[in-house]
Amino acid sequence: MIYLDHHAAAPMPLAVRQAMQDAADVAWANPSSTHAAGRASRKLLEEARESIAFVIGAAPADVVLTGGGTEACNLGARGVAAGCSRLVTSAVEHPAVAQSVERLRREGCEVVILDALRGNPPSAAELSSYLDPDTAVAIQWVNHETGTVFPIDEYASACQAIGARLFVDATQALGKLPIDVQALGADAVAIAAQKVGGPAGAGACWVRRDLDVAPVLDGGAQERGRRPGTPDTMSMVGFGAACETVGERVAAQPAIATMRDALEGRLLEQGAARNGEGPRVATVANLSLREWDGAVLVAALDLEGICVSTGAACSSGLQEPSAVIRAMYPDEQWRAGSAVRISLGIETSAEDIETTSRTFRRVLARETA
Amino acid sequence: MSDVKRVLVAMSGGVDSSVAAALLREAGHDLVGVTLHLWDADGEQQVGRCCAPEDRDDARRTCEHLGIPHYVLDERDAFRTQVVDPFVTDYQAGRTPIPCVSCNRTVKLTHLAEVARRFDATHIATGHYARLERADDGHLRLLRGRDDDKDQSYFLFGLPQSTLERLLFPLGELTKPEVREAGRRLGVPNADKPESPELCFVSDGKVGDFISRQGTPTTAGDIVDSSGTILGRHDGVANFTRGQRRGLGLGGGGARYVLRIVPDSAEVVVGDEQDLYDANLTATDAHWIAGRPVGAFQGEVRIRYRHRGAHADIIPSDSGFEVRFDEPQRAITPGQAAVVYRGDEVIGGGFIA
Repeated sequence: MIYLDHHAAAPMPLAVRQAMQDAADVAWANPSSTHAAGRASRKLLEEARESIAFVIGAAPADVVLTGGGTEACNLGARGVAAGCSRLVTSAVEHPAVAQSVERLRREGCEVVILDALRGNPPSAAELSSYLDPDTAVAIQWVNHETGTVFPIDEYASACQAIGARLFVDATQALGKLPIDVQALGADAVAIAAQKVGGPAGAGACWVRRDLDVAPVLDGGAQERGRRPGTPDTMSMVGFGAACETVGERVAAQPAIATMRDALEGRLLEQGAARNGEGPRVATVANLSLREWDGAVLVAALDLEGICVSTGAACSSGLQEPSAVIRAMYPDEQWRAGSAVRISLGIETSAEDIETTSRTFRRVLARETA
Repeated sequence: MSDVKRVLVAMSGGVDSSVAAALLREAGHDLVGVTLHLWDADGEQQVGRCCAPEDRDDARRTCEHLGIPHYVLDERDAFRTQVVDPFVTDYQAGRTPIPCVSCNRTVKLTHLAEVARRFDATHIATGHYARLERADDGHLRLLRGRDDDKDQSYFLFGLPQSTLERLLFPLGELTKPEVREAGRRLGVPNADKPESPELCFVSDGKVGDFISRQGTPTTAGDIVDSSGTILGRHDGVANFTRGQRRGLGLGGGGARYVLRIVPDSAEVVVGDEQDLYDANLTATDAHWIAGRPVGAFQGEVRIRYRHRGAHADIIPSDSGFEVRFDEPQRAITPGQAAVVYRGDEVIGGGFIA
């Protein structure tokens, strides 16, 4: 099996599995308990928080541990939008942000959605034109489907200049781009373990210390009142261990880009169209094969031992045409239904790319009539 | 089946297709399970509706049990345009359509044949109760399933030889009790699941309500007798089919039956049961399994799924055929399929004009 779906989840390295296994002896205990068992769990939790904070240049106290990337995005988006009259976002956000924004809209907040046509992110100047001190921005750093890199530094400067608040969904940026939340100047930043080899269901939201965010769940006062519920020490140990691999992942980007470009080049020769023409990270190629239904192509490749995805939301096994590609190409609707996302990671080898390329050629050559 | 390599199994999540998959697996075939998502039920009852997430889950569980891959493909757009929209149009035109025929021909099997090629599968298997047999001249004969009560050959008359060549019907030789028994023996997770409704996308059977929900309300009008005398009102032509007695809301007098529906005036014409009998019918859009027969011939014609078939002369024309029954038949209904058999063999069929 060749795994090329790293944007969905990166394979869990042995060191992460080992760390979680080792933690199992004590991680079951409630880290809020004051007895010895609780303290042992708390110690692991706080060590994990330090690893997570370190990798994004944050102080551990400002990192809220959550049950995954979606919750971290909900917390961050709602957190920056609290009290604001207008919220600005993009048309290609992950549902974790897009649906938070939709809820805020229903609650009476004015919402401005900026286009990212053909994968070109909105400029900081365009963003600025909607900003005032009562405005919040909730936007991604790296698009989950096309890898499009948004000019977050410029957005942050624009927000700071006007006094608007900024939440950054950095879920797909972690492990691909260096992240330093202090230097960035955002107000909240969300990340998730799953994208860097940690367990699903472990996420974190960095929140600027003087920003008062309300929890999105109802419950106890854990995580300094920002996230109720018993913290999952075991998962967070996995997240912390996964963060130890982030430096290595970022350093591998040029090599990954070379492999991605090689594979993409071969597929473009076979008639594929590239989705997303703007700047992008090294790890992903999003391509549409006009004669194919993306879900059929993904299944046909799976039957040949190649794991890729359509990139789109999946509910009960049903894959719908990609909302992101649809928004990027409103005049070329065929692209959304025909899109496949091939995402590479640190484990990907040149041999994998060669095999994948040959398999694509064989599958795409199949006659349909 | 020596030429069978990889088989795509169409899995609805019901017992029949699950057992079909299990039997092929037992025979050692390389299988791929595919569930087509055709329709999102809306405003209908939540239990027993078609294409429900729990049906997809059942199909997935069966595939997990069998150790085969399972994929769900989204065919909602094709199902709406090629099956549901014509269904609604037909009802509004006073016909009683049989959507399973066109669904099998277009959305299901023709599309799956394309998917099968893309999956490098040589064959497609379904849970239909029907059989295929190679004739001496090389073409495939479509035969009734062994289980008289479950036989579904009626719905398959529209399939071209090119599709039949790729089909496998693992349940064709079995009865429903044998299928359930095989399901239990092979550990199929849903072996005791109840039957699905006859019209999969109208799970509560209320066609008029369904058509209203599609945003095209059915036309209300008068109930009249054959001489044009108004006997009452009805709330929509789509609520009626030829031969129907219930739901007319007419008090007094003897039993009256729907004789025909006049779409232009939205009139439902009623009369006595004896007026429902006709000895002839004309069918259009014919499809013949082994090509159009030359000249008239004798056979049995089924005029609806639950009709046992009646002996008749069949006279093919360019695009349809005429049927002259030996005995008049009750409620020959426009829109339903007239399927021509000789013994167990489906010769062809068309739609009653």
